[in-house]
Formats: sequence, structure tokens, C-alpha cells
Amino acid sequence: MAESNTLTDAEIMLKIAGYDSKALEQLYDRYAPFLYTLIKKIVTDKETAEEILSDVFVIIWRQIDHFDFKTNNIYTWLVTLARNKAIDVLNRRGGKRLPDYSDEYEKEYIIPKLSEEVETLELEEVLSRKGKMEKALGSLTDAQRYVLELSYYGGLDQEEIANKLKIPTVTVKSKLQVAIGNLMQKLSEAK
Amino acid sequence: MDKKKSLELIKLEVLGCLNEKDMESLKIMKESKDEFPWKELADYQNLVALIPSALELKYPASELKDKTAMKLYSIRDEIKAKIDAKKALEIPSQPVEENSDLEEKIELEEKIEVEEKVFAEAEEGFHIIADEPLAPIQEESFKIVSNFKEKEESKNLINETHDKIETAVSKTAYEKDVIEKIVRDYIKSHIEGDIDLLNQSVKKNKILSFILFIITLIMIGALYFIKQ
Repeated sequence: MAESNTLTDAEIMLKIAGYDSKALEQLYDRYAPFLYTLIKKIVTDKETAEEILSDVFVIIWRQIDHFDFKTNNIYTWLVTLARNKAIDVLNRRGGKRLPDYSDEYEKEYIIPKLSEEVETLELEEVLSRKGKMEKALGSLTDAQRYVLELSYYGGLDQEEIANKLKIPTVTVKSKLQVAIGNLMQKLSEAK
Repeated sequence: MDKKKSLELIKLEVLGCLNEKDMESLKIMKESKDEFPWKELADYQNLVALIPSALELKYPASELKDKTAMKLYSIRDEIKAKIDAKKALEIPSQPVEENSDLEEKIELEEKIEVEEKVFAEAEEGFHIIADEPLAPIQEESFKIVSNFKEKEESKNLINETHDKIETAVSKTAYEKDVIEKIVRDYIKSHIEGDIDLLNQSVKKNKILSFILFIITLIMIGALYFIKQ
């Protein structure tokens, strides 16, 4: 599959918008391992993770009209989409009361809504900066890293984290804000 | 607008852990005419998307590609409907009386486009097989589905198009033309060879019959002379 290496993410997405199934296959080849890694971290179960990954590509195919070609940030859109879907499955399986899963629900809560000023990220570039992210995460305190993980991979909101850790919601809020702020600062310094 | 407050909420929103009250506050901030820190929101959206880059890559089972392809195939009708809807929006309705050369030309181009769309999926699947050398098991997925898809579509094509023609009372003449063209193309590519063979054998049979007829005449003549 030589072509998949030559087309950019943006070119692939444009082809998918024209319902080119080969382009979707290329996107799968390129992103499946990365998205699977994220989904598996969230749901932990291999079979569920695979099911979700498969569903994510069906959503891309069905909802490509909702991808914003102005921002064209495929990486962030895909990662956010995969995370939203995985967290949704996790919450439903955990018995959380959520609206019925419908097309409207998917558009509202699963499809990412990125700010128009978002800068484009490419998967290759992101993977090449893996070490910097590890270092930035490593620079957080254990408590900061823990609440960040409970939120990002665990899909817990402030109150749920507060209940789990038996600490006030205000503390959770503040820890999350400081953690994410520090992470931003460390990554900016590492650039 | 309190930019500090907005930033605090943005940091929680990108992690997906805003409570309902804060979610509502942020929504109001975004909709207000004041300057909302969209750039900061964008930066934090990118930042959280970078978090999983620290994880060790894991790979899904190779068969998953097959399963995904099957799922995609199962929603083909929905996708076709979307393509048709898009086309309907793109093609403006034209009065029947007007029939200039230019309009005919445009109509012909549109017909070709629609036809291409109708077969796009099957054709793409075919290209996947045609363009690429046979690769490991995971590469089989789209091929299997594509083959299956093509065979099924070929088998059902004539039936489907006949059904379409029968129910075409509500359809436009333009759609009918496309359907008839698809049928003609199908007949050309799949049945014409058989017709040629049939024609050849009919020709041979005719010649043989003619020869037998002559032989019979000669024999009757010979018998007649013998009797004389």
C-alpha cells in the first residue's frame, strides 16, 4: 500500500468525504494502532476495545460531514472522537444514566467540536514527541497525575473523582486545573 | 468577560469533566459577544489529545479490519442515500420545456457522475484488489468484502434495476435514463458474448440444414431416375 504513505491526513479525509472506501482503509492503517492503544487504556478489555475501534471508523464514515475541513486537525479530531466513544461505552457499562444512544446524541456528545483556531497536528509529529510528553507527565506530582488519569482515561467528572478520593470537589477542580496547566507549561518549554 | 474564569472552565471541559452548572456557564460564555479565548481552548484541546502519545503502542487483531469492513458494508444503503441527497442538492431542477444543447451536455455529465457514484463502492473495492499485491491476512479484509459485494451487486443488479424501472412512476426521466444505461452496460459486458456464440451456432446449423436439404434433393432425383 504505497499510496497510504504519500497522502497526507488531510488528503485522506477529503477522499473519505467523497465516500472513497480505499481512503478510509488508509486512515485505518495509519491510525488504528494509536486509537486502539487509547481505547484499550480506557476500557481495558481487548474485545470491547476492538469493538469500539471498529465503531469509531463506522462513525467516521457516517459522520464525515461533521468533520471541519477549515480546522483540518485530523489527529485531534480522531483522538477526541475515539476517547468520547470509549468513555461513553465505559459509562454505559458502569450503569451511568445517559440519554439513549441516537444519531442526535452521537452528533452532540461523541463528535468532537474543535475550536476553529486549533493548530493542525500530524500523527508522525506527535509520535516523534512521545518522549517529551512522557517527561511532561512525569514532572507532575503523583496526586496531579492520578486525578488527570481518573479524568482522562477513567471518564470521571469532578464529583465522581471527589467521591472516589474522599476529598472536596473544589480540591479536585483545582488539582485538575493545576495539572493541565503544568502539563501545558512543560510541553511549551520542551518545544 | 472574566478570562480567568473561562480558562478554568476550558481546562475542565477539554478533560470532559465539567458538571452541568459549569457546562452551562461555559456555553453562555462561548455564545456571548465578548471575546472568548478560542485560541486557548484550541491549545488545550490539542494538549489533551497529546496525552495518549505517552502510552506504549498496542495493536488490534488483524481480523478487526474484516469486521470493520463488514460493518461498513452493512450501512451501504445509508451511505448511498447520503450520496443521493448530496447530489439532489447539487443538481438544480430544470424546466422540462427548455432543451438547449448546453443543458443536454450538462445532463450527460451529471448522468455519468451519478452512475460513477452508484458503483463507487464496488469499484473502489475492486481497485483495492487490482492495485495491490496480495498481502498478509489483515489485507484480506477489504478484499473479501469487496469480492462479496461485487458478486452480490452483479447478481442483483438486473433485478434491482428492473424493480426500479417498475416503480419509476415517481422517478424523473433522468433517473430512468441512468437505470437504462446501467442495464445496457450490464447486458453489453455480461450477455453479449453469449449472444455472439449463439448466433454462430445458429449460422452453422443453417448451413448444415441447407446441405442436408441438397443431399435429400439429389437422393430423390437419383431414386426417380432409377425407377425410370
